[in-house]
Amino acid sequence: MPETFVVVGASLTGGGAAATLRQEGFEGRVILIGAEPQPPYERPPLSKDYLRGESSFEQALVQPPGFYGENGIETRFGVRATRVDAAEKVVELGDGEGVAYDKLLIATGGRNRRFPIPGLDLEGVHDLRTVADCERIRTQIAPGRKAVVVGMGFIGSEVAASLRQSGVDVVVVERNKVPLRRVLGEEVGRVIEGVHRDHGTTLIFDDTVAAFEGAGRVERVTTQGGHRIECDFVVVGLGVEPVTELLASTGAEIDNGIVVDEFCRTGVEGIYAAGDVANHYHPVFERRIRVEHWQNALNQGPAAARNMLGKDEPYDDIPWFWSDQYDFNLQYTGFHTEWDELVVRGNMEERSFVAFYRKDERVVAAVAVNRGKDLRRSMRLIKAQRPVDATKLQDPDVDLRALVGTVHK
Amino acid sequence: MDEFEAVARADELKEGDMGAFDVRGTKIAVANVAGEFHAFGDTCTHLGCSLAEGDLEETTVTCPCHGSQFDVVSGEVLRGPARVPVGSFEVQVEDGNLEIKD
Repeated sequence: MPETFVVVGASLTGGGAAATLRQEGFEGRVILIGAEPQPPYERPPLSKDYLRGESSFEQALVQPPGFYGENGIETRFGVRATRVDAAEKVVELGDGEGVAYDKLLIATGGRNRRFPIPGLDLEGVHDLRTVADCERIRTQIAPGRKAVVVGMGFIGSEVAASLRQSGVDVVVVERNKVPLRRVLGEEVGRVIEGVHRDHGTTLIFDDTVAAFEGAGRVERVTTQGGHRIECDFVVVGLGVEPVTELLASTGAEIDNGIVVDEFCRTGVEGIYAAGDVANHYHPVFERRIRVEHWQNALNQGPAAARNMLGKDEPYDDIPWFWSDQYDFNLQYTGFHTEWDELVVRGNMEERSFVAFYRKDERVVAAVAVNRGKDLRRSMRLIKAQRPVDATKLQDPDVDLRALVGTVHK
Repeated sequence: MDEFEAVARADELKEGDMGAFDVRGTKIAVANVAGEFHAFGDTCTHLGCSLAEGDLEETTVTCPCHGSQFDVVSGEVLRGPARVPVGSFEVQVEDGNLEIKD
């Protein structure tokens, strides 16, 4: 009997993993299972060019439509995997089918958090995760219409920008005092705030939604702070939670996602996880991190696939992501939860800078606005984990490449 | 067009550097890799950023906006999000001038 490798999650992670199994010469059965009806596609355009109607869905496909069949990858799209029976080595699907596996990769990603806000189920209150969600929002977009965006993380910020660029009047309600505070901190958040204000978006900070109101369909949003905002539609972006429950009875450790080691292995024989759902032990940062971004989805799925084939390659890519808002290209690399100082190269007021999050004299992360080249070079600095002089980081005449491997003092 | 056009003095483009030039309406980037010049399409096929503004490591150029990587010799995609190659162009040095054929 040939071996069967099953991938749950027909996403950038899962699709990439299935393709990698074939590219690496695996000759057994490969079965790719996904809850959405579409073949794997990339999500970044859903809050940007695709939401604005500037690109096609075909452009977002991870592989051409015929790819899976041509490569002997069996697909079950539009059906959800509900439970894994690790003793019998079977994945149970929502339509009753049981799919036997020898090795299993979980790439189920995340689902949007839903808070118990009154009126959340009213028509016209949207959130954004899938292409179907995006298409529902697209039908709402027209110049002069009024939208409320709830939450100003990356999805909220990008959606607010895309709506504004499409002529929609936008009010944002955010519980923190600047956008993106949790990831980027206040100083960088204020730069992003300025970008949005300059484009005529109304920003309400330090406030949360009390209720969505309307007769059947949303007509206004009320806030704890006493605002009453009339609107035609709402987009809620309050973060994501990992989809882990199908492993509930397997004994796999679940803690902020599915816990995996540097090889993307769970503690259960033959079961792996990758992508947004995986809380992965990162060898550079020497701790577990769970990353919800494109590059991690792109590279961690294939890394897991290679490990399913016994390659024993730790996944150690430095996390990196971008966010396009209006004409501003923001990029972040590394991983930080706290830092001693933020060292800035360039000019925050002019919105062209790279800021280094420095902890114990090392660069642990960097964020850039319209400075992609410096950001790219920062990745090597982060991976090197060497002490770096702050004055050199600040000096635009010092080539960041020259700082990799140079020891401080 | 089928002829070389001078775009710069060759010694203005140092080793490891890139420049972008408008050759009869086409934006073409030139990379100096260890003294050898390579010309390729400057406009990233993903979302249109200038590759010459990006990072060059040996013969790999990385787009400054979204990280797509291209081979500067062939113009082929090495890593997405771009999927379409940028194309490559002939380049020569004549009398100290950097010349490109579009």
